[in-house]
Amino acid sequence: MSEQFEPKIVAFVCNWCTYAGADLAGTSRTKYATNVSIIRFPCTGRIDFMLLMKAFENGADGIIVSGCHPNDCHYTSGNFHARRRWMVFRSLLDFMGFDTERITFSWVSASEGSKWASLVDETTEKIREMGPFTDFNKLDYSTFEKISNDTITE
Amino acid sequence: MIGFKNAINKLAIPCFINDASQVEQLIYTPECKGNLSVYLHKTEVKQAKKVGILANISTLRSLIQLTSENQLNDIEKTVITINAQDEVVVFENMEKLEEYVQANFPEYTEEDKKLLEQLNNMTREQRWQYWTEQFSACIKCYACRAVCPMCYCSSCTVECNQPQWIKVSSETTGNLEWLTMRAMHLAGRCINCGECGRICPVGIPVHLLTAQMNLDIEKEFGAKTGFSCKSGYALNTFKPEDKEQFIQ
Repeated sequence: MSEQFEPKIVAFVCNWCTYAGADLAGTSRTKYATNVSIIRFPCTGRIDFMLLMKAFENGADGIIVSGCHPNDCHYTSGNFHARRRWMVFRSLLDFMGFDTERITFSWVSASEGSKWASLVDETTEKIREMGPFTDFNKLDYSTFEKISNDTITE
Repeated sequence: MIGFKNAINKLAIPCFINDASQVEQLIYTPECKGNLSVYLHKTEVKQAKKVGILANISTLRSLIQLTSENQLNDIEKTVITINAQDEVVVFENMEKLEEYVQANFPEYTEEDKKLLEQLNNMTREQRWQYWTEQFSACIKCYACRAVCPMCYCSSCTVECNQPQWIKVSSETTGNLEWLTMRAMHLAGRCINCGECGRICPVGIPVHLLTAQMNLDIEKEFGAKTGFSCKSGYALNTFKPEDKEQFIQ
């Protein structure tokens, strides 16, 4: 008997829009997938690319990055800076052959509780179809294999 | 004065002279590919206050980029180059240097262009295979960082251990993180001298990552690195009309 795969999804959200949007989804009792763990940031501009890498390394299968719509940023320009960085980071990942489909970028405002709920549902469904993220594990295993083979031959 | 001198196998290595009698040592050949501007960050050179530098085109580009990042304000420097007609050119000021670089702006080498095209024509899985194989060889010697004139931070994220961002040991995921981080921190600042790829003891073409980023940044934001002293850093600024297709 096979159980359905439940992906682990980490959401990096900004305090002022998406976190409030997720809160609205909660207070209006909207039902959505429970696979998401929300991490709150002061602003999308604070979401460093290394944090995304670390999330994948620590077992996330998918990531949502979300903040205020352009021109809505609490700090005026944080999301504009973040947008440029994500554009560059995404193309770097793509150039390295990393599956960028596992990272969902979105704008969700404080009044878009339903958008947040459907975003989480859609992402969960997408990642469920893609299966668990194993690229990093495979790499670790291949290093381990290489070292143990070397030791044996010695 | 920083320049090049002869070494075995017709190689050119960096040479530091502080007396006029030693000037005979200096050479300038097509082998002088190294980027000498990296030495301008060294304490010994900074203490000298007055520095001469015999620059090739990539060194000139780094000088422009470093000036735009306000890194050369406290150094009095004389920049000399040798142009295509074998004439010595002494730059009186940065504006002259800018003009020279803009007139002789270098392109990517044929080899790099070919590799980039090959990589871009691969499928995603093939690229992943290619890069992870390359990254698995990395021994984390950080020579690519040491040789880079743009890596001048006095403390680097790889040395940070609270939290440990990058694994210390040489294993593929950690190597991938290190090289991703390096590429991201240099994206839009790298001046494509290719020193990191040349210096790598295990032959990883690390310079291609930043080269591709620069192509993307130029296409998306129209910013060229090492082109103008006032160009700034593409990721430190924004335009409200920046366009992207992937944000839902």
